[in-house]
Amino acid sequence: MDAFLAGMALLLDPKILLVVFAGTLLGIVVGALPGISGSTTTALLLPFTITMGPVPAIAFLGAIYCAANFGGSITAILVNSPGDPSASATAFDGYPMALKGEAGRALGMSAVASAIGGIFSVVVLIFAAPLLARMAYSFGPPEYFALAVFGLSMVAMSGGDSALKNLIAGAFGVMLATVGQDITTGVERYTFGIYSFTDGIEFIPVLIGLFALTELLEQAAQLGKRTALAKLGAVRLPSWADVRKCSKAIGISSALGTFIGVLPALGATTAAMIAYVETKRWSNNKEEFGKGAIEGVAGPEAANNAAVGGAMVPTLALGIPGSTTTAIILAGLIVQGVRPGPHLFTEQPLLLYAVFSSMLLANLLYLVIGLAFAKLFARITLIPPQFLWPAVFVLSVIGAYAPNQAIAEVWVAIAFGFIGFFMRRFGFSPAPLVIGLVLGKLVEETLKQSLIIFDLSWGGFLNRPIALTLFGLTALFLLAPVVMRRLSRRA
Amino acid sequence: MSANRVAAAAVIAVAAVLFALTFGFEKLPVGLAGGFGAEAFPRLVLGVIAGLAVLLFVAGPATEPQAPIPRMVYFTAASLLVFMALVPLAGMLGAMFLFLVGLGTLWGERRAWLILLIAASVMAAIWGVFVKGFAIQLPQGLFS
Repeated sequence: MDAFLAGMALLLDPKILLVVFAGTLLGIVVGALPGISGSTTTALLLPFTITMGPVPAIAFLGAIYCAANFGGSITAILVNSPGDPSASATAFDGYPMALKGEAGRALGMSAVASAIGGIFSVVVLIFAAPLLARMAYSFGPPEYFALAVFGLSMVAMSGGDSALKNLIAGAFGVMLATVGQDITTGVERYTFGIYSFTDGIEFIPVLIGLFALTELLEQAAQLGKRTALAKLGAVRLPSWADVRKCSKAIGISSALGTFIGVLPALGATTAAMIAYVETKRWSNNKEEFGKGAIEGVAGPEAANNAAVGGAMVPTLALGIPGSTTTAIILAGLIVQGVRPGPHLFTEQPLLLYAVFSSMLLANLLYLVIGLAFAKLFARITLIPPQFLWPAVFVLSVIGAYAPNQAIAEVWVAIAFGFIGFFMRRFGFSPAPLVIGLVLGKLVEETLKQSLIIFDLSWGGFLNRPIALTLFGLTALFLLAPVVMRRLSRRA
Repeated sequence: MSANRVAAAAVIAVAAVLFALTFGFEKLPVGLAGGFGAEAFPRLVLGVIAGLAVLLFVAGPATEPQAPIPRMVYFTAASLLVFMALVPLAGMLGAMFLFLVGLGTLWGERRAWLILLIAASVMAAIWGVFVKGFAIQLPQGLFS
């Protein structure tokens, strides 16, 4: 409790307040811009947080993450083109509402549902993360290896057009993490004589390439598409009748979003899609869905923001990312010299509680800012791509170059921009690759340590019940969809 | 061949090359490698990748035929490479300015005054924030 109060007190520090405010504002703006998601922005700005110190850096990135999901709903409702993938489900009913002249009502509900979902999940995070960390205290290398494998298996469901492709991308991410000197023997692997690869491939240029530069090439393929903005009147707080109508949707979706967020690798987009289906299932007005049902806006918005706090639980407590953006935040913590995991709760409680309290503040801030300036943010979506994307490239170059002041890192970013573009063309999502890259070192280290403990016998895992349970869950998650499909074909 | 099969074949080919490269890793005595040499983990992961790619080839769902990549993507990709070639000549700031003007024009902007104004504003912001503010030393060119 003392640490939590000390963390809250940090919010009185003008520097922290400023970074949370800036992160929230930036999160809404980039969330509203189609193509620039919260993941892209956190990847792009990660290098500039290095000089901030761990607390402001993570508060800044956390605020962007919280606010981008809400920002995405602005474009989903007004343009029918979600600014952030997590707002895709919001467009199903948000845009029909806008066409009926109810954009202000939809945006008001979106802001309130987002804030409730976000605050609910941060409260869960505050209580669940230390509990999970306490459980993880008894984990040794075999359990961590099993947990990391479980996290990797969850990428199967993390988007893209096939579970197999996600798993392949995740495994390639793990392969990327093997570049550089082997941790136990010092032998160089896949360095091709390039000196800067000796310490491994840096996260930052890879992230910038896969998110920002891939999107630049995607945008080049979509030039000429016109954005039409629906008419927006005053954005107002939801009426009491709307609140009553949506309370069940918000409640169910907040819980669902938090739970899905906690599962490794599944983030806000999955949470919002599932919440939309569940909101419709539990609604008394099913026939209104798709035609402008306000519950269809409230449910996904509560869920995608609830997934943010949920995703931070395994990220902070176990060091296993709960989503793509938390994988980037995790990379940010590692760059700052902080390795998340159970020990963080005893070694740096202040850092954790500062993160929690800044996320709470960000959720309140975007509610106020979002309601007050939605009209202005909506206009930002009209920035022509021929001005926006060249500027994004310039910022990407600086971002890739700045940490080590090495031009080779810019080449790496450009190479991964091309790789990401072709991955997407063939239906591979870059997100699993990032999760694999972040988890790769942990997987290899813990596997080697486990085999040393077991005297090089893989059978040693059989004597570790927690590891066995996690392997069982991995098999269940991987095989369940196949078995269910077979069974439904027979029926 | 479907796009999925092309992708699976490409994945298997890349995995095979990476697997072959593991034979070029420095060899250490077994005692020093602790029984699990530097090549063991990459080979294990590549085996998993190859297995998944075979599954994708055999049982992967069919995908729609790919639409051809628009020419503008190639031009944009080329402009990134031209930018990198310009850095040693014009310096990073100079190359960035030329890139902002060049790609903006390539993407259809015809108002020269506007594009120059925006490029100059972006460069002023980059110089102010990163060169002056963060004291980042950007590469200088032959002509800068």
